Amino acid sequence: MPGAAPQSVPASDQSPPLVVSPLPRVYRGWRVFIFYSSALLLTGLVSMLFADLLWRTGWSASRTVLLVVFVILFLLIAIGCMHGVFGFFLRAFGDPRRITQTDYRNQSMAGTSTAIVFPIYNENIVRVYEGLRATFESLEKTGQLEHFDFFILSDSTDPDKWVEEERCWYELIRELDALGRIYYRRRTDNEGRKSGNVRDFLNAWGRRYRYFLVCDADSVMRGGTLVDLVKLMEAHPTVGLIQTVPALVNAESLFGRIQQFSNRLYAPLFIAGLNYWALNLGNYWGHNAIIRTEPFMQFCDLPQLPGHKPFGGQILSHDFVEAALLSRANWEVWLAYDLEGSYEEVPQGMIENAQRERRWCQGNLQHGLVLFAKGLRGVNRLHLLLGICGYLAGPLWLVFLLTFNWIHWYQKYTGLSNITVHAFTPYLNLSGIAHAFLVFVICMAVLFLPKVLALIDLAFDWERRRAFGGLTRTTVGVVGETVFSTLHAPLLMLWHTRFVVTNLFGVSVGWSQQKRGSDGTTWLFAIRRHWGHTLIGLVWGAFMWQLNRYLFWWFTPVFTGMVLSIPLSVWTSRRSLGARARKLGLFLTPEETLPPVELVSLRSQMKIHEITDDTTPRRPHAGLAEAVLDPYVNAIHVSLLREKRLNPVYAEQLDKLGVGRETVRVLGERLLAEGPAELAPADRILIMTDAHAMVWLHQQTWLRPGESLAPWWRTAIQEYSHRD
Amino acid sequence: MDLPVESAITGPGALTGVAGQLAGRPLEEWNAAYAKVENYFHALRIRNKALLGQLVLRVLERAMKRAPAEPDHSATYIAAEEMDRTVTEWFAAVLQAPPTNADQMLSTRGRLALLLADMPGKWQDQFLRPPPWPEEFVSAMRETYLRAGPDFQLSKMSARPFDLGPITTLTNLGRVPYLKMSLAWTLFVLFLVAVFYFTH
Repeated sequence: MPGAAPQSVPASDQSPPLVVSPLPRVYRGWRVFIFYSSALLLTGLVSMLFADLLWRTGWSASRTVLLVVFVILFLLIAIGCMHGVFGFFLRAFGDPRRITQTDYRNQSMAGTSTAIVFPIYNENIVRVYEGLRATFESLEKTGQLEHFDFFILSDSTDPDKWVEEERCWYELIRELDALGRIYYRRRTDNEGRKSGNVRDFLNAWGRRYRYFLVCDADSVMRGGTLVDLVKLMEAHPTVGLIQTVPALVNAESLFGRIQQFSNRLYAPLFIAGLNYWALNLGNYWGHNAIIRTEPFMQFCDLPQLPGHKPFGGQILSHDFVEAALLSRANWEVWLAYDLEGSYEEVPQGMIENAQRERRWCQGNLQHGLVLFAKGLRGVNRLHLLLGICGYLAGPLWLVFLLTFNWIHWYQKYTGLSNITVHAFTPYLNLSGIAHAFLVFVICMAVLFLPKVLALIDLAFDWERRRAFGGLTRTTVGVVGETVFSTLHAPLLMLWHTRFVVTNLFGVSVGWSQQKRGSDGTTWLFAIRRHWGHTLIGLVWGAFMWQLNRYLFWWFTPVFTGMVLSIPLSVWTSRRSLGARARKLGLFLTPEETLPPVELVSLRSQMKIHEITDDTTPRRPHAGLAEAVLDPYVNAIHVSLLREKRLNPVYAEQLDKLGVGRETVRVLGERLLAEGPAELAPADRILIMTDAHAMVWLHQQTWLRPGESLAPWWRTAIQEYSHRD
Repeated sequence: MDLPVESAITGPGALTGVAGQLAGRPLEEWNAAYAKVENYFHALRIRNKALLGQLVLRVLERAMKRAPAEPDHSATYIAAEEMDRTVTEWFAAVLQAPPTNADQMLSTRGRLALLLADMPGKWQDQFLRPPPWPEEFVSAMRETYLRAGPDFQLSKMSARPFDLGPITTLTNLGRVPYLKMSLAWTLFVLFLVAVFYFTH
């Protein structure tokens, strides 16, 4: 029921009863109508022009396919373009409908409690904790730390990571004097993945906190921004979620720097455009967002979808759906797009980026089923649909290109003449080639207009212009970014096609973890990942050369990206090239030219780790050795395990696992006598989950004569004894 | 420090008349026992060598007293046991928690307390020392407690299934026998039709 008050919650710990009327539906309705009508109008006109072009060369079934695909693809780029156009004008003339528009800064924080949660899964612990440290220290400076608690919510399955997380957590709380402020919890099972991890936190501690703020493993938040978010929530009691727009930061490779440059330059326009039509039915991107705990707990537990994979089962991409569920219950969801101080990182290479795209593709395609869920708001369905189309665009573009090739091949090999007839639009007086060129130019204009608008937007903002290194450098950066995107786009097309097809057929495509060299993707790894792209580019190029040399040159941007995919992937992943571009003043972002304190702190801490950390590869099962042998790590580990028992749900899970049974002791004996390699991974995890077994193992390894222990233990003890 | 270092080699039963032996065991055995105990204290981050040596000798003294009565156990084993016992007894005294054989958790609690009180950094000289201990050290040992999270406030989120309307029926199509095979055949037929259509 749009415009209605949010569905009530049994509130003992609710926000003050301030009343903010949600926007009237008709107002948002007009915005949605105007926005999408503009995109549709543009699509309609250009599609007519394209249909006319096809008509001139003789209609056929394949031309129908081409036109249908063209209309869909053009509509998508027109929607993108409209985001840029609307965003540009909103930024130029001011947007009166923003969550940050109200005077919220004087709002009291008294009585508020916010949990900042970091769900992690086998992550680079050092980076996660340093990001947390930067956020913590920044928050401390605001003087509002007392209103916040931090939670590291581990889902890690790698025992080495698990032990490292515990040890580093202790070091962190000791260094920050944050005992009782930064907490650590590891789940015994990974049910529900990230959303299940957050749900588990909410079930255990959620009701202690009025709000919770979800961070990603690579998130950093400015303290002032965190305080602003809480105050915004306090000022707007009908708001269920506020999503910030994280700036991409800390990229060092050329690829990463190009991505963060385009994000920082174009995103403000696009997001302002998005906010124009979404308003209080905004979206959630899974992290760097503050959430009102109670309504989230009441309405956002994700159900299993009926049927089997790829659509059925557990919802993988949970964020869009959670926002839709909040909106369904009449809670507002806003994008605080003008709130600075929210950061995340970006993949450093094309292959890493594709790995992430693959996960997102799977989740977004699954939304195809959620689209039909009854009761969802139309705007939320649009969010879901746009997410799906983002991945379907790749295969559709491929279909478009192949159909286009087919038409030319058919024309050539059937010997049919290519005589053009008059167009529907004779007053334009265009030849067939000029007609085709006009369509092409319009498509390019629609694609590139937002970039031009972003530059104009920058030109009129002296402060931002300076932060990007000046208008000239930014313009050169935009040209460079456009060239790179042109080469990268065909690869994304092939990747997305593969992801969509394999997902639809339920085929799981295992991708091994990337072996990164000291300076990015290795040549061997790039060859393994891109040889198919190169081959397709070469074969396709040769085919086009044979077919029509004139057309060949028009297709070169598509082939070039494919043929050069291997060197492109390797070179753009290089930190050295990223650094060189930076020295030339290319792809600069405000966070590079005027780095905020949080990022300076993070970078300096990471540098210290880079210099001082022991980089020698750890022995297999080093985490287990540490948890058993090190008297302090063992004590931390056991203490955390014992605390779990206080939660009946965790206690039940531990019992279900078999913790405390005699079999664990038997496994422990085997572990001592034969070494960890002889045990199954699940058995090693089971032992490590049993507090008593871990205490016993600690005692036994130090008590027993070396001869009664496996050689692996003797070596481990030796190493421990001589460690400083 | 008032550790009776000299007593380790002059105490009753410590030296025997047999050359090359201590407390009835070959010197090499005590050497190994020494290394074992030293290793553990080293793992506890006792870095001061003089202190480390004194602590090891104190444990060995207890082990040497036991050794003649336990000929079946190696000196290393006895020393390790004595080390464990000495440390646990000391934890019990400092934390005012009587040791029980049934619960090895006292040792864990003690080690955690050592860590939280920053024994390796601030209080190395107090480790295994008999009372009285400095008030600050005692309170640091007794009062610190490692908390992984605040008190639980349990609740249970429950999902509300989506009503997908007629789509739900479609999602169950996967259960139709031979569906995939039929789909594959249909696709093949469609492919043939398409080839025919486009080539004629």
